[in-house]
Amino acid sequence: MEAGLLALVALVVVGAYTLASLGTASRIPANIGPFFAGMLCLFVVAHLAVRKLAPHADPFLLPLVVLLNGLGYVFIARLDSKLAGQQLGWTALGVLAFCVTLGFVRRVRFLERSRYTVGLLGVVLLVLPLIPGVGREINGSRIWVGIGPVRFQPGEFAKIALAIFFAAYLVEHRELLRTATFKLGPFRTPDPKHLAPVLVAWGFAMMVMMFQRDLGSALLFYMLFLGVLWVATERVSYLIVGLGLFSGGAYLSWMYFSHVQTRVAMWLNPWSDAQGKGFQIVQSSYALAWGGVSGSGLGRGIAGRIPYQETDFIFAIIGEELGLAGATAVLVAFLLLIGSGMRSSLRNTDPFAKLLAFGLTLLLGFQAFLIMGGVIRLLPLTGVTLPFVSYGGSSLLANWTLVALLVRLSDSHPLSRENEGEELTTVLSVKA
Amino acid sequence: MNRQIRKAGTFLALCYLALFVQLNVVQVATAKSLNDKPGNSRKVERDFNRPRGDIVTADGKVVAHSVEGDGRFAYQRTYPTDELFAQIIGTYSFVFGSDGVEKYYDEQLSGQSAEFQLKGLLSPFTETPNVGTVELTLRADVQSAAREALGTKVGSVVAIDPRSGALLAMWSYPSFNPNLTSTNDTMTARAFRTALAADPAKPTLPKTYRERYFPGSTFKVVTAAAGLESGVITADSPDFPVARNYTAPLTNRPLSNFGGSSCGGTLVAILRVSCNSAFAQMGAEYIGPEQMVRTAEKFGFGSAPNIDLPKPVSSVFPTDYGKRLRDGAVPGGAGIFENTPALAQASIGQGDVSATPLQMALVAATIANSGNQMTPHVMSSIRDGSGATIKEYSDSVATAAISKENAAILRAAMIEVVTDGTAKAAAIDGVDVGAKTGTAQLGTPVPSSHAWVITFAGPPGQPATVAVAVLVQAQPGASEQTGGTVAAPIANKVMQAALTPIPSSKPAGPTPGS
Repeated sequence: MEAGLLALVALVVVGAYTLASLGTASRIPANIGPFFAGMLCLFVVAHLAVRKLAPHADPFLLPLVVLLNGLGYVFIARLDSKLAGQQLGWTALGVLAFCVTLGFVRRVRFLERSRYTVGLLGVVLLVLPLIPGVGREINGSRIWVGIGPVRFQPGEFAKIALAIFFAAYLVEHRELLRTATFKLGPFRTPDPKHLAPVLVAWGFAMMVMMFQRDLGSALLFYMLFLGVLWVATERVSYLIVGLGLFSGGAYLSWMYFSHVQTRVAMWLNPWSDAQGKGFQIVQSSYALAWGGVSGSGLGRGIAGRIPYQETDFIFAIIGEELGLAGATAVLVAFLLLIGSGMRSSLRNTDPFAKLLAFGLTLLLGFQAFLIMGGVIRLLPLTGVTLPFVSYGGSSLLANWTLVALLVRLSDSHPLSRENEGEELTTVLSVKA
Repeated sequence: MNRQIRKAGTFLALCYLALFVQLNVVQVATAKSLNDKPGNSRKVERDFNRPRGDIVTADGKVVAHSVEGDGRFAYQRTYPTDELFAQIIGTYSFVFGSDGVEKYYDEQLSGQSAEFQLKGLLSPFTETPNVGTVELTLRADVQSAAREALGTKVGSVVAIDPRSGALLAMWSYPSFNPNLTSTNDTMTARAFRTALAADPAKPTLPKTYRERYFPGSTFKVVTAAAGLESGVITADSPDFPVARNYTAPLTNRPLSNFGGSSCGGTLVAILRVSCNSAFAQMGAEYIGPEQMVRTAEKFGFGSAPNIDLPKPVSSVFPTDYGKRLRDGAVPGGAGIFENTPALAQASIGQGDVSATPLQMALVAATIANSGNQMTPHVMSSIRDGSGATIKEYSDSVATAAISKENAAILRAAMIEVVTDGTAKAAAIDGVDVGAKTGTAQLGTPVPSSHAWVITFAGPPGQPATVAVAVLVQAQPGASEQTGGTVAAPIANKVMQAALTPIPSSKPAGPTPGS
């Protein structure tokens, strides 16, 4: 099944690549042969790795990721051939990371056991850009690490490390966090000392935002932690308190950080500074509107108007050239990816595996939501990449690793179709 | 835990639903307004980077054509006849925007109209670009005749086929060279625009349908028509007294005849010599405000003509004459109103009356076409790249202005004006020519006036095939002869050109190079 889907995806991507070249240069790309062979080769490697290392994995995950990665590549190649070469290299490395992760993490238990090591690693990765001499500030965000000519965003990996740590930590402490023993007016809440992790996460997110000016990642960390905490404890009070803290934090940052104010103002009315701070959003809206329902056609849009069109704003270019239809297809691909992740979270019986699958899915799905929402002006713009689609080495490597873990998790407790219903009923009745 | 996971999953799904809704808002619901936002240059760039059909005159001259551009855009618009049709074709320019036929038929020229979109869907693999060629009713030979005849006098000429409303010529001097506005060299275009904007003669303004002037005595045709329609005036009665001037009720300021001459008599006689005193009295005391306004509006005053050109202006006949005070002195005539003196002035085309040259051509055309005014138009057909007709203009009656009988009386009267009146210079051998001259005094320190003539011409005893309005602005002198001596010879040449059939060597199908 996976092989069939992959073949279909390969056809779509090669077709799109050809059309994009026809659209921009009116000719069939000269490198179509090597491109096709190279891509097929990568797919086959990834597919064989899954068959060999996780034979019962969800067959949808890999084809969906390949589709998004392939589509992203087509658009990057259409916008900038130099970046396309690099992106192809990063994709190859991504697939390698995927295989290595699948091979290295044979059992999920392994991750649970090394939770503190992983957590520490996550924190180190996160604060690395702040260390003088190593960190680099690019475009006002201090989220880069530069060693010689190589630049890297360690935050992309920190997200995964922290997701693992959160899941393991909360599985360990969930009983304590669940029991409501403390009275606060009419409410019963858990002992405040167990609330400390929430406050720490909140403070941490604020810190990241303050020092790194990385709104998107801060939001992502916070949502990840809150989501995992809620699922682990089954206590809605955490959600309420967490969202309250979030609102407070959001308000405070809006009060005190000019870049947050700018983001909000440009979300509400980018036309107030259409040639300046609102330029990206305005141009992105024009591109999307121009695309309409069916799009201008691959390679036939008016590219080159939107700064960061290969990274943060690639969704706008997709919307222009493939229209509402193509943009919706990308939405659906992400939604199916989320569905696969959530399904494996539901099917796993081990709490850690459940939580980890949930956390990773939330991370992936929410990040895509944040940036697509920012580009189409549903949300204020937060500069995160569109997973697998945007140009960027760190992002690609990290997300391929993330998906490797999801594949592993979808395999770690294979349920046959016959007793799936029974199993779910049991889980529900136990809860009830 | 599963319950929370499902809820979180549902939450994420709702987030994506919100994305989908917002995508629909941006890409569908508000797409049009986003595309039209000032500052969004996508539409303009697209338009300037795609092929565009030709505009061709009725006698087969290509007057607008797109060639491959070498500058900023893929195509460049050129106008082979330079200034000849500039004001009517308009321009298609990145700097100036578009106007005229280029603007009105933009969707057809660029292949964006429903007909072309449908055709593009049905046969997506055609060789020729899916754009329309607009064929005009305007004739390059008649237009050239108008240009030659008017020369370097500031003014306008309109020629129309009274039977169909098809415009044959619309020329104003001065004009401008549209090639300098459509050039892809935007620096040149900008400099040219600055120069044009500073020119007091407004060369880019299509004065034939967007500028109003005092019509002077040519308006007496409308007054006469109102009199006939009201029934108080017939061809034989009343017999207006011979007088040097006329003083309307409620005023002691007399309206004089030109040069202080005396005139009077029945309808044909007073029209022939353009008798101010008689027509002023006719409007003020015989016809009255209601009938005057009604007939003027039936001729098209008070509303913009339904012409296929952008932003035509309406001609003006004043409508407010105050309260009715008392019955008038004329039995069966009009009552006396507060503004009856103003009506006396308006009845001879003075005061607040103003008309476009197109409107006055329509007045002549209406008389020539048995009282029916046809909707004026410049498009005759739209063809696709292969030469097949996509759309043809279907003629329609704009208004039934006056009865056939009254039109016949006025037609005969206007022919008398040419054979034995102020417009002898309009006469053509072997052709029935009718006319009415006009001289609208401008009240300038040195006497000057707009010289007018409205005419029609056709084979003897048959419906006229052309009607013309000529306006020559600000001519020295203020004699009623001015219209006849300055404007009538111009109309004569234009009518002669229009009466010559189109040479049959007209190329069929798409023009070379398109």
